[in-house]
Amino acid sequence: MSYSTFNRKKFDSLQQPMFFGENVNVARYDQQKYPIFEKLIEKQLSFFWRPEEVDLSNDRKDFVKLEEHEQHIFLSNLKYQTLLDSVQGRSPNVALLPIVSLPELETWIETWSFSETIHSRSYTHIIRNIVNDPTKVFDDIIVNDEIAKRAVSVSKYYDDLIELVSLYNTMGLGVHHVPEHGDITVSMKALKKALYLTVASVNVLEAIRFYVSFACSFAFAERTLMEGNAKIIKLIARDEALHLNGTQHMLNLMTSGRDDPEMAVIAQECKQDVIDIFVEAAQQEKEWAQYLFKDGSMIGLNAQILGQYVEYITNVRMQTVGLEPYFSTKNNPIPWINAWLVSDNVQVAPQEAEISSYLVGQIDNDLDGADFDDFDL
Amino acid sequence: MVPTLTTSTSSQGHKEEAEVHRVLLGKKQILVTEDEPLLPQLERAGVLVEYQCREGYCSSCMIKLLWGKVSYPVEPLAWVHSGYLLTCCAIVKSDIEIALLG
Repeated sequence: MSYSTFNRKKFDSLQQPMFFGENVNVARYDQQKYPIFEKLIEKQLSFFWRPEEVDLSNDRKDFVKLEEHEQHIFLSNLKYQTLLDSVQGRSPNVALLPIVSLPELETWIETWSFSETIHSRSYTHIIRNIVNDPTKVFDDIIVNDEIAKRAVSVSKYYDDLIELVSLYNTMGLGVHHVPEHGDITVSMKALKKALYLTVASVNVLEAIRFYVSFACSFAFAERTLMEGNAKIIKLIARDEALHLNGTQHMLNLMTSGRDDPEMAVIAQECKQDVIDIFVEAAQQEKEWAQYLFKDGSMIGLNAQILGQYVEYITNVRMQTVGLEPYFSTKNNPIPWINAWLVSDNVQVAPQEAEISSYLVGQIDNDLDGADFDDFDL
Repeated sequence: MVPTLTTSTSSQGHKEEAEVHRVLLGKKQILVTEDEPLLPQLERAGVLVEYQCREGYCSSCMIKLLWGKVSYPVEPLAWVHSGYLLTCCAIVKSDIEIALLG
């Protein structure tokens, strides 16, 4: 069952399941089993942006003036987001490409992962612009306990799937002894279960894990601070909403059994696991909010409000994949965030943007009424 | 080379009275038209609905459709479960009853 980069078999790709069918051979999009994935590719490409388009010179001035505990909030969020996108920039490719069986889905996975690498580059762009020594910030990601806890949760399902698939590709089905890991049973059911849990975990990552950071970024921007950063976060949030759509489609197709009847059985069996993944992520995000605000809150936000927001958004996301809401919170405690998350006013081209601080370096961003005093028509 | 359209559907459609439907939400009743999606009409009526993309891909504005008919002029990218609707792009086509998520 080893992977082939160009499967020489002739088969009808419309009859393949999303995963664990034939390896994809011709990258063709003239016929598609699930056209939604090509629509997502087109949408993602239309969203293309580059971090360098966003000017951060005002953010640097703002950052220096922030209180120490506010700097902690700002940098900690960036570190956590850097972790998340480090994982997301590679893992969909590494874990899912060897087992995908539809050309449009294969290309969506690559497009999705690529867009996460832009996010990673944007964090470097932000950090380089606001602190003198970016090394300190990046080096802390690997040793910070609060971040390490979350790194385990966001990578373990990917890692399990990757291990099982590599055993499957080299040794085939059966029980295999792996030094230091013991005996590992590779069955189609185990593979499919690992896949289902991975997609569920990624869905939760993109649905919930980014949103505490997003809320903080927008809370700074509400005070007209760190607006370049908020502009970048808006672009990232727009991309993440699309990635979420992709994993929601995968999960719903699996759960419905339309794609692979055995997947529907696995989805049913794993229902409690998926609920647990949602709840664990929500719990970790609430703890993250406590960590952020350990030395002091910021105007308009504190750990309690953020905790309620996490519960609220978890309820919403659970329902989009057919689960009952888990938490009792019924209302969004920070409804103003939606005005920041809305993407219809995100413009990348400099001349079209409405926030002045996004402009590229050579343009003076500091204008006030007096600048037009000597201007006559 | 100027096309001679006019007179046809668009101007006729304009003359007709916009059809009004009732939207029941708990004890509230809101009147809406088919001229625009449900979301902005709910917002003007003071109902707080979650939203993000406002163009049908993020699922944030999904709510329950208890009964009644809605349609989508353009098929949204988001997966819409039966019994739910996307307020940002759904056009109300009959009296309906809805419930917010939460």
